[in-house]
Amino acid sequence: MNQPLILIIEDEEALRRFLIPTLSGQRYQVLSAATATEGLAMARSHNPDLVLLDLGLPDRDGMDVLKELRSWSRKPVVILSARNQERDKVQALDQGADDYLAKPFGAAELLARIRVALRHTLPTEVTEPVVCGGGLRIDLAQREVSLEGRIVKLTALEYRLLEALVRRNGKVATHRQLLAEVWGPGGEGNTHYLRIYMAMLRKKLEVDPTRPRHFITEPNVGYRLSLEALGD
Amino acid sequence: MEAPPRPILVALGSEARSLRLIQAGFRLARERSAPWIAVHVDTGPGAAVEDAEQVQVWMQEALQMGASVQMVAAPTLAQGLSELTRTSHAQALVLGRSRDRWPWARLGHSTADELQRRGLEAELVVLDDRPEVAEPGAEGLQFRALLGTLLVLAACTGLAWLIPREGDPSQVLLVNLLGVTFIAHRWGSGLGLLASAMSVLLYNFLLETPRFRSVSAHWPNLLMFLLVLLAAQAVVGLLHRMRQQAREVQRRELHTASLYLLGRDLARSLTPEGVAETTARHIQRVFRGQAWLLFPDGAGWRVRPAPSPLALLPSPGELLPQLAAGGRVGDPLEPLVIGEATWLSLTGTNGSEGVLRILTANEGGLPSQTWELLKAFAVQIALALERLRWLEEARRTQVENETERLRSTLLGAIGHDLRTPLAAIHGAASSLLLPGTIAEATRTDLLTMIQEESERLAHLLGNLLDLTRLESGAIQVQKEWQPLEEVIGSALGRMERRQGHLPVRVDLTETCSLVPLDAALIEQVLVNLITNAQRHAPGQEMDLRAWDEPGWVHLEVADRGPGIPAEFQDRVFDKFFRLPGAGEGGVGLGLAICRAIVQAHGGTIHLQERPGGGSCFRFALPLDGTPPAPPEGAESLTPGGIR
Repeated sequence: MNQPLILIIEDEEALRRFLIPTLSGQRYQVLSAATATEGLAMARSHNPDLVLLDLGLPDRDGMDVLKELRSWSRKPVVILSARNQERDKVQALDQGADDYLAKPFGAAELLARIRVALRHTLPTEVTEPVVCGGGLRIDLAQREVSLEGRIVKLTALEYRLLEALVRRNGKVATHRQLLAEVWGPGGEGNTHYLRIYMAMLRKKLEVDPTRPRHFITEPNVGYRLSLEALGD
Repeated sequence: MEAPPRPILVALGSEARSLRLIQAGFRLARERSAPWIAVHVDTGPGAAVEDAEQVQVWMQEALQMGASVQMVAAPTLAQGLSELTRTSHAQALVLGRSRDRWPWARLGHSTADELQRRGLEAELVVLDDRPEVAEPGAEGLQFRALLGTLLVLAACTGLAWLIPREGDPSQVLLVNLLGVTFIAHRWGSGLGLLASAMSVLLYNFLLETPRFRSVSAHWPNLLMFLLVLLAAQAVVGLLHRMRQQAREVQRRELHTASLYLLGRDLARSLTPEGVAETTARHIQRVFRGQAWLLFPDGAGWRVRPAPSPLALLPSPGELLPQLAAGGRVGDPLEPLVIGEATWLSLTGTNGSEGVLRILTANEGGLPSQTWELLKAFAVQIALALERLRWLEEARRTQVENETERLRSTLLGAIGHDLRTPLAAIHGAASSLLLPGTIAEATRTDLLTMIQEESERLAHLLGNLLDLTRLESGAIQVQKEWQPLEEVIGSALGRMERRQGHLPVRVDLTETCSLVPLDAALIEQVLVNLITNAQRHAPGQEMDLRAWDEPGWVHLEVADRGPGIPAEFQDRVFDKFFRLPGAGEGGVGLGLAICRAIVQAHGGTIHLQERPGGGSCFRFALPLDGTPPAPPEGAESLTPGGIR
């Protein structure tokens, strides 16, 4: 079975020295580039399965690189962002990046994100109708949700929000993306709608809403649905 | 080799105009870059003691303006001056000429004329007293005054006609004295003189019997009338002086009042813009002209109040040398008139603070008799500007000192806190690299230490960066209305994912639903407060409560730890403050960050002692603005429906 090819575009050598062996050790194939130009050339010639893209590159803006990648590839892109790039991070996610990792990050976090990113986003036409984990079971075909075996009734909007999160399959969804998907175009300004509905979902689907396990808030970015085992 | 420039002599007396002579001498010397000498010629005994003292004052003033001074004794002013000019090889002699001499003294008998006759080699600069400004419409008045004079004389003669005389002219004299005095007072001494002569003739020809006789027949009467003339002159002179004095008093009063008002308003101006506006307002009121303050700004000007309607201003490089005044307050600052604009240098204690430009409707700038007041204004404005500059400098120095103090605290704190984890990481890594085998347990131990210490380093650096960015305003608070529960959940979730279950009891009241806040920042506050409580009361239960009141929402993190001694309660939010005896761990930034974030939200944070032991950190966030409308179909989220 062929191993996924990961392209690292990162200018800091120390970080490359950490990333390459960590990923190779996990039986990924790894390519690395220190500049945007080199990285884009490699992406074209090798067509990697996933790109780890640093936003602060020396020769070109990371956002440009993302746009160019997205102009011809739908393969997952995970952003590596420094602490002072919150705004760029959200912009990159809205521009089509799949997920992000805030520096500094550990190996476990990195591998978990890569695993999630390599999973396919669920297509709109349901092929795999049931998603479950952590006591939650969501049947997309039947539009049925249950917690610990009990069926939970959701309103139409609550269900649409849940479905939007489920389809992202563990990846982060920005406020903008969720608002556009659930409320349609023009709903982007009403972030508080989203927060209120998220509070309602948590009330119904979390054991303790003040300690959410599934509906994870990414502050100032968006939300992520985590169905992995507790204590992740 | 070039000969040194010949000096300029300035002759000073005790009169007030000596100040202008000093200024003129200073200016001339500056223009020609020549030395200048202030001279007083002592013409022997007779001079009053006060005069001698006043001369000393002027000489002192001249000395301060860079002149050398010299006193000479000579029988006459002209003689003394001409000798001195010759001996000092002066290139120019500046002297004044007053107007209040007898008119004939001006015809060829003035010191200047005398000096010219003596064949002076030096250039002679004579400063006249300022010309009296003609009353408006003086030409139109001349004819009317003449007519009035004749009418008054006719009336007097008519009145005298009615008085029984019988050869005794005394009553007639009184009537005529009254008339002449009135004329002289009203239309000036020239017409008064004419009127007295005419009244003599009128009396002789019309009133004295037999009429139309020759003058010589009335010698005694004629003598009488000469007395009338003199008496009228004396009365008129007195009246004139009194009137002048009254005017002078009035003028002084006006000056004092204007200066007082200006000074008061300037003292209230807190910015150069404020000073400029105050100046413009007062100059408009007192001088009826528009005023601007100009500050040199490279090749152009910074003009306040902006903008000046006339963009065509001479460049600073061109104008400043022309305005160039002395280096200190009160140094000569004669206004410069260019077209309709009057320019003045605003000279403070150490140099020019800017330039004042006044625009009046009439050609020729402001009339020169207003200059004295204008100069007083300029000094006040300059001092106000200077005061602001010093204030600004003091403030900057204070900020610099504060920054410097912080920097040294920072270096001290960081020096230690960065080194410790670095030393541990370095040590652990190098022992892992040693040749030979290490027991598996030790290996894991060392690696865990490397990970933990580097996390601590990252945390410390992150905190520092956050605090710096918060304080410099680089982090903008992005307030959004959101449920408090989400922030609390996010904070607790983040900590619990990392370290397992936390003994935190959460208690939210039913009423608080949406609060405007920056989720990432408030989450940071909660994490810091909980971490802080964990550190001081390890393993014990803590309470996280939230409740609201109109306009505010309160949050509180309370522990059952040992509490914080009262004397440190004010300081726990200070940067790098650590309780004495506190163990390893924080660096004293967590609470400082909390305070910075809460304050950036417009809220407050404080520490309370918790009843029953422990401490309680409480912060309040303002509920400002109107909460957004709830979405349709959100019936389940009635107010407080969070729980």
